[in-house]
Amino acid sequence: MTRLIPTEHELHAYVDERLEPARRAEVEAWLAVNPEDAARIEAWRGDARRLRAALAGFGEQPSDPALDLAPLRRRLRQRRQWRLAQAAVLLLAVGLGGLGGWQAREATLFAGMLPMADAVEAHRLFADASTLDIQASDPARLQAWLGRHFNRVGQLPDLSGYGLQPVGARLLSNEAGPAALLVFQDRQGLRISLFLRSPGEHFERMPSGQRTDGQLQARYWSHGDYNFALVSAVDDARGEQVRRALGVSL
Amino acid sequence: MHDLDDQQWRELLQRLRRFALWLTREPGGADDLVQATVERALSRRGQQRDADSLRPWLFTILYRLFLDGKRRERLHARWLAWFGRGQAEEPTGGEIESIVLAQADLRAFARLSAEQRALLLLVSVEGLSYKEAADTLGIPIGTVMSRLSRARAALRELTEGNPTPPALRRLK
Repeated sequence: MTRLIPTEHELHAYVDERLEPARRAEVEAWLAVNPEDAARIEAWRGDARRLRAALAGFGEQPSDPALDLAPLRRRLRQRRQWRLAQAAVLLLAVGLGGLGGWQAREATLFAGMLPMADAVEAHRLFADASTLDIQASDPARLQAWLGRHFNRVGQLPDLSGYGLQPVGARLLSNEAGPAALLVFQDRQGLRISLFLRSPGEHFERMPSGQRTDGQLQARYWSHGDYNFALVSAVDDARGEQVRRALGVSL
Repeated sequence: MHDLDDQQWRELLQRLRRFALWLTREPGGADDLVQATVERALSRRGQQRDADSLRPWLFTILYRLFLDGKRRERLHARWLAWFGRGQAEEPTGGEIESIVLAQADLRAFARLSAEQRALLLLVSVEGLSYKEAADTLGIPIGTVMSRLSRARAALRELTEGNPTPPALRRLK
């Protein structure tokens, strides 16, 4: 009766009513004389029907006012105005030049991605953990370890003047390659970490700066082949001096 | 989004949420996904859509966001593993049960892979064409067909191996 036995794909298209009318009639005729296949098709069709029935109304919920059409349209308008305003601010800042321009640039660049967020995260996870890769109270040993993993890094300064002794280090990794967390602590057990890594694509020319993240202060800079961040407690007065000492020697 | 009235928009949101729920199997995650989809759609409004192509377009955005989220989860798990925290726990999908009637049909459906669920939802429930489904899922149409074939066979098997429970009960 039919020239061609329908393919598996055609049978699915038949269930989904996606066949051309002529072919559809042929498949129908073929199914009429192939009851086993017809039963299989009927089962698929039944599954689809039951799924539709079971899912009707599924996902209904009291409407979320934030997603109503009127507020959405309002937000669209505001967004357009906001973009215009932002562009104006940027132009103004560039026009004024100098520090203002730089800050606006930084704010625009990094809105949405916090510099050295991974450093702060690593400090949170590990600075107080006893699971560092190496325990090194000897600065020379820490330096040797660092040199092994980061062959273009400078000398770690002696931080004992700030009451800080090395505790150890942990090798980490991110998409850009290896990273490391070096942990120091003072007599009271207060810990400060130095984080370094190869630059990711967003931070290739990362400007120096600092930011507060919860109870932590991150001071970050780039030098040579690496990005650095010093993570300390917000109220740790040594942060700035240690940051400078590190910046000079690394 | 400009040619729609409130009723059509709400219905569309509901469809998006249903799709998101079956992808994430977790109500909180589904709501976030819908929210993010609408945000993304608003920010790309430059690409004007008529009402017909709006729906597949929104499904596409939602599915891409879902995949991005999965990728981030995997990255996060790897990051944690590096940090010696071990593997992040696999989402159990247990929460979906609180919103599903314990029906054999839905239980079988819930056991399909996320890719298979997504495809059956788009084709059988949302009635998207194969081309639209292929675009939404970012796969060739041939893959749509073979995945559809596998998904239907798997659903059949799960449904048959799962006799209807003696009584329906709502899991809360």
